[in-house]
Amino acid sequence: MLKELEELQKQADAELLVSKTEEEFLALRTKYLGRKGLLTGFLRNLGNIEPEKRPLVGNHCNEIKNAITEKLDDALKAIAGLKQDDELLRDRIDVTLPGRKIRVGKLHPIIQVSRDICEIFEALGFSIVEGPEIELDYYNFEALNIPKNHPARDMQDTFYIEDNIVLRTHTSPVQIRVMEKQRPPVRILSPGRVYRPDSDISHTPMFHQIEGLLVDKSITFGDLKGVLTSFLKQLFGEGTALRFRPSFFPFTEPSAEVDIRCVMCSGAGCRVCSQTGWLEILGSGMVDPEVFKNVDYDPEDVSGFAFGLGLERIAMLKFGISDIRLFFENDQRFLEQF
Amino acid sequence: MLASLKWLKEYVEIRISPAELVDKLTMVGLEVESMRERSPSFRNIVVAKILSVKHHPQADKCFLCEVTTGDTTYPVVCGAGNIRSGNVVPFAKVGAVIPGGYTIRSSKIRGEISEGMLCSEEELGIGDDSTGIMILPGNLPIGKDLSEALDLTDVVLDIAITPNRSDCLSIIGIAREIAAITGSNFRYPDINVTENDEDIKKITSVHILDPDLCPRYSARIIKNVAIGPSPLWMRQRLEAVGLRAINNIVDVTNYVMMELGQPLHAFDFRFLEEGRIVVRRPLSGETFVSLDEKERILETDTLMICDGVKPVAIAGIMGGLNSEVKEDTETILLESAYFDPISTRKSSKWLGMNTDAAFRFGRGVDPEGVVNASARAAQLMAEISGGTVCKGCIDEYPQKVKKAKDIPLRVKRVNDILGTDIKDAEIVKILKSLNMKICEDTNGHYRATPPTYRVDIEREIDLIEEVARFHGYDRIPVTLPPGSSVTVTKDHKEIVRKRLREILQGSGYSEIITFSFISPGSLDMLGLPAGDDRRKIVKIRNPLTEDQSVMRTTLVSNLLETMKKNANAGCFDLKVFEIGRVFFHQREGELPKDKNMFGCLISGMLDNNIWLSKTSTDFYDLKGCVENIFDGLKILNGEFRSDYRETFLHPGKSCGIYVDKRCIGFLGEVHPDVLLKMDLKNKVYVSEIDMELLADCFTGDVCYKELPRFPSVVRDVAFVVGEDLEADKMLNIARDMGKELLEKVSVFDVYSGKSITQGNKSVGLRFIYRAPERTLTDDEVSQVHSGIVKHIVDLTGAKIRGEGN
Ligand SMILES: [Zn+2]
Repeated sequence: MLKELEELQKQADAELLVSKTEEEFLALRTKYLGRKGLLTGFLRNLGNIEPEKRPLVGNHCNEIKNAITEKLDDALKAIAGLKQDDELLRDRIDVTLPGRKIRVGKLHPIIQVSRDICEIFEALGFSIVEGPEIELDYYNFEALNIPKNHPARDMQDTFYIEDNIVLRTHTSPVQIRVMEKQRPPVRILSPGRVYRPDSDISHTPMFHQIEGLLVDKSITFGDLKGVLTSFLKQLFGEGTALRFRPSFFPFTEPSAEVDIRCVMCSGAGCRVCSQTGWLEILGSGMVDPEVFKNVDYDPEDVSGFAFGLGLERIAMLKFGISDIRLFFENDQRFLEQF
Repeated sequence: MLASLKWLKEYVEIRISPAELVDKLTMVGLEVESMRERSPSFRNIVVAKILSVKHHPQADKCFLCEVTTGDTTYPVVCGAGNIRSGNVVPFAKVGAVIPGGYTIRSSKIRGEISEGMLCSEEELGIGDDSTGIMILPGNLPIGKDLSEALDLTDVVLDIAITPNRSDCLSIIGIAREIAAITGSNFRYPDINVTENDEDIKKITSVHILDPDLCPRYSARIIKNVAIGPSPLWMRQRLEAVGLRAINNIVDVTNYVMMELGQPLHAFDFRFLEEGRIVVRRPLSGETFVSLDEKERILETDTLMICDGVKPVAIAGIMGGLNSEVKEDTETILLESAYFDPISTRKSSKWLGMNTDAAFRFGRGVDPEGVVNASARAAQLMAEISGGTVCKGCIDEYPQKVKKAKDIPLRVKRVNDILGTDIKDAEIVKILKSLNMKICEDTNGHYRATPPTYRVDIEREIDLIEEVARFHGYDRIPVTLPPGSSVTVTKDHKEIVRKRLREILQGSGYSEIITFSFISPGSLDMLGLPAGDDRRKIVKIRNPLTEDQSVMRTTLVSNLLETMKKNANAGCFDLKVFEIGRVFFHQREGELPKDKNMFGCLISGMLDNNIWLSKTSTDFYDLKGCVENIFDGLKILNGEFRSDYRETFLHPGKSCGIYVDKRCIGFLGEVHPDVLLKMDLKNKVYVSEIDMELLADCFTGDVCYKELPRFPSVVRDVAFVVGEDLEADKMLNIARDMGKELLEKVSVFDVYSGKSITQGNKSVGLRFIYRAPERTLTDDEVSQVHSGIVKHIVDLTGAKIRGEGN
């Protein structure tokens, strides 16, 4: 009996394999599972077997029945699915036609860069503050250790409103305004517009800077390096090589210019980095004791560092823009790209 | 500052490659901006010896020479008469290239073969002498490449000297730094003046009347000079550092300035009336003609160098035409002085004369280098002009220049500031390598006296910087500051700005950034009346252009300008916004008032997706944007009032924007007159909102309302009203009345045209009724609803559409 059953199963499997159409599968169903089907007949004849063998054969018989049923069902379902697809395909659309977009506006590239930088420093505990764009000479220069007729004034041409009122030439006056109001510790970042009378392919009379200041007990030049390294690696990528080299700013000492490996030539030397392999990214330094005295901080008690960077320069490097004036022409075709 | 490597090597041994030197200098703060090789522009020119010279048989002015390069002898026809047999000369062989790209070929000159050319200095581009063939020193190796034999190649570094480092505005200054970097010895130039017996004090005198501006003035007399060109070596050095050779006296003053950093001036002594020097402020109204041949009226604090009668130079800035060295000058009075840096800077700025001398005096020269430089120049003048130096040097030094001395230095402080663990020995070694005198007080406490040329070192922090520079910034460990107890605060306005940007970006507006300055004419363009606040402009004293000469008081003109620029570029569909400040003049001497504004502009087609339908934008698109802002900022009581006027907006298509009865801005269609003036064809819609007022309205609070559990009942009614009736009026009537059950009332349709009598419009309102705790019955709603509708009809004279109108 069992042998016959196995034969039956093999036969059924073989026939299932060669069947393709719905009709063929339906015929198989009748042949094996129908009222007069082979398997049905088998089950009907169970009564003829010895009673002790009956459960075994019965079980086996049912297993085979289930297996065949399942295979038949699957096959029929697949065929039905294909049939439905055929019908749906008659309703096909051209998926290559443009979508109905709700146009999303673009943020100005300078704003994007500013936002990225602010986010990095906010995570480091810096608060964003603002300062006036039209400044007193005192805040823009004097308090930053740049007295009248100091050679350092040559570094920055200035727009004047009155003798003692200027369009700020940098965001550094915000340092003074914050320290005048707040006792240490201080961690601030101040983005904004600054102005210098200059206009050519790499200068516009208005541009953007970000100023940073950190003052606390026992802040070191090593901390300056740490914070700025972490910042630049976040901004330009973990693998960015950088160097700190001595420089001069009247309101910091020691001062450091921070360069990154040229992003265009990876250090081989090119037009962008004037063959040096390095790109100047930001100016920084330990806050000069004179500046602390001007805001009534005790330089023996606290120390700190400040830094500043030009946003246009960063945006130009990040996006490969060679003419700074494009930022302020607001040509839709330019803005659309960011 | 340009520095020639060859010149530097006179004072310091440089064993590292130029590239390495560039890197090392940059890393101690002398940033090398560029490095270039300087080599003569000729090729294949060799040292040759003339074996014989004879007259050309066919040409009077030509000579036939035989020259040898050691292994070969060449016949050469030459036109210069200064050559003799035995002379060593530059010889351009056939195939050689001389400056200008001219290639030497074999030729026949009046029947005589010439296999090359003998060259003059000028032809080689290494000097100005064109009078004859350049005669080379007899000891040069015959046959050798001329460029190598004369050592004509050099490397020139362009170094950016920061304003604090006036000591590096000279070759020895940079050489000193190189010595400190590499540990090589530094050699000061040998100064060795041979003087005659004539005492200078018998010839001239110096009187300083204003020692505050001129603390030190020294003079030397050099007699019997013969003015002429300087020797090649000097001219080459001057050219290498960007200076033009003039004559042997002026060149020496420039040479010593470049070498030692001390600017000098040479007067023709015969033009100094009374034969003496007086240093004083100018007399009132005194004028002066400087070397650039411009006459100037002098300002009170412009220090002048005068003779017994008149000014002869502007101190530290430029000499005068009346005493300049001429071809027939015989006696020189050589000035070497220390002028007050601040006063020199002021004068130089006021006069608009930024000379090399003024630049150096303005940053501070070494007050103790004055006499040395004078001696050095006198020595060179005697050497190259054949003059003799009179005995002695007048050195008037009435006011000692303040010099830093014994600056305290704590080793602990060094390491506290730098975050390092640098030992005493290294600190002392670094400072000594910079020629400082160090003495130790107690353990870890030192006193340092910088050399007099380091005018930038006055305080402990200045010494710390020196230690940091030479210890190496790259060796300072990278650390992070300890966690701070300061809490991060978020500025309320900054939060609003950020939200605003999100909302606008989502609404399809792109952010622009325009200059904060505008043309004064743009306010006229907007037709702003005289008394308008926005006429209180802040003027820039020194604008770059008239178009950028006043600070803006509104963003509108820049928005329109942006529209115009884009339209010119063929882009007529624009949706942009700007967030920026405007400025209002207050009182003289007071900072202007500034405030942050938000402005946006829309124009053109709504959608540029060509295969979908396009519609022109209109007032309601812009209004929708402002409403989006209100929604996004959770401002519930925004209002738009038609009784608001702006000269530059269409009076019938504009409104004021109010929150809690306070006007925060406006929006509307730009007045056709303004568009016409700007030559803009399409309609343009603008809005401007005061960011500070907007920020005041924003609380950031969101209060969740329970979702309704019972169904609502909706009733639509179309009212026919006069076309001037504002929908808000009907809505407000409904809201006032239906406080309890009326959940919402809104406009769902506005129609005028067929079936509506002229002068009227149909406004469809949708009323939604709901009770929070039960399902409303039809009767209940009808009762309230008919009351509201009746009230609207009563108050506005509206008719219900479809009710027999
Ligand atoms: Zn590069």
